[in-house]
Amino acid sequence: MKNSFDEKILDEAHQWIQQKRNVVLATVIQTWGSSPRPIGSRMIINDKGDFSGSVSGGCVEGDVVRQSIELLSKPENFKKIEYKVSNESAWEVGLACGGEIAIFLEKIHY
Amino acid sequence: MKIDLLSKVIELKSKKKEFSIITDLQTAKNYVYDPNCKLDKDLEDFKINIKESFTNRKDGMIKDTNLFIKNYYRPIQVVIVGAVHIAQYFVEFAKNLNIEINIIDPRGYFASEKRFPDTNIINQWPKDAFKKISLNERTALIALTHDPKIDDPAIQEALKRKCFYIGALGSKNTHKNRCERLKENGFKDDEIQKIFGPIGIKFGGRSAPEIALSIIFQLMTEIYRK
Repeated sequence: MKNSFDEKILDEAHQWIQQKRNVVLATVIQTWGSSPRPIGSRMIINDKGDFSGSVSGGCVEGDVVRQSIELLSKPENFKKIEYKVSNESAWEVGLACGGEIAIFLEKIHY
Repeated sequence: MKIDLLSKVIELKSKKKEFSIITDLQTAKNYVYDPNCKLDKDLEDFKINIKESFTNRKDGMIKDTNLFIKNYYRPIQVVIVGAVHIAQYFVEFAKNLNIEINIIDPRGYFASEKRFPDTNIINQWPKDAFKKISLNERTALIALTHDPKIDDPAIQEALKRKCFYIGALGSKNTHKNRCERLKENGFKDDEIQKIFGPIGIKFGGRSAPEIALSIIFQLMTEIYRK
């Protein structure tokens, strides 16, 4: 039997919209190797920098928030981003677990 | 994603429908896929592959397309017999799982709204309650009163309706006696053996919240068993 937990972040996104916030929906669309969160995992980000849900085990969320806020300031409605294995010696965002993920960012709009 | 689509998804979720959201990654246009409704014209060409992805219920890219599919599942139906202390913790822990709970208890002082706020409680004997909620292969039945008058009729109904999970509270001895009563009522050994009794994963905890947790863990294991 298939199941999944009751994802409440879309309801939360709807509440943010009603509070006149601009919101971005982030979805894990592809993974390679070991990735902390499965395909279909979701996260929402608003223009204040609040976020809910997850797309990794905490490895890339900070950068996803930054990229989402940047997207909100642009005319484009969506963007695809990819994260690869991080280099421990460098100050960069990446996945310590050694996997790769692709994330789709899309504005929630009228 | 457009706001009106977001609203539609929330509505479908609250109606406990089984559906998918399909996203065109080249345009960020989203579609709701409901097998009972007509497919959007834009997606007509990919009909076969979309159907396959929906049937397999696997989130991901749809073969040979730029479409991404995310599936939404109907909650698992759980019927708890006995509005007891363990049931209160079960309801609390299950809040974030995709589980819909109905509680049956003919004893009004147990089945009170104060003890179970925002929970569907049926203050009736199982026989009458099953006229309102029906059991099936996708239902789990959890008997917690360990009173044969209340538990037994519910367990018998669950066996007849082939519930995928049937668990009953009580010691090994209580369960042995229960099995014998079921046998006397014409149930076969292989059916009776499917009942989880004593209920829950054994890990040492004996408090009400710990037993509730052990039942949830056992139930989830059965949900994902292939």
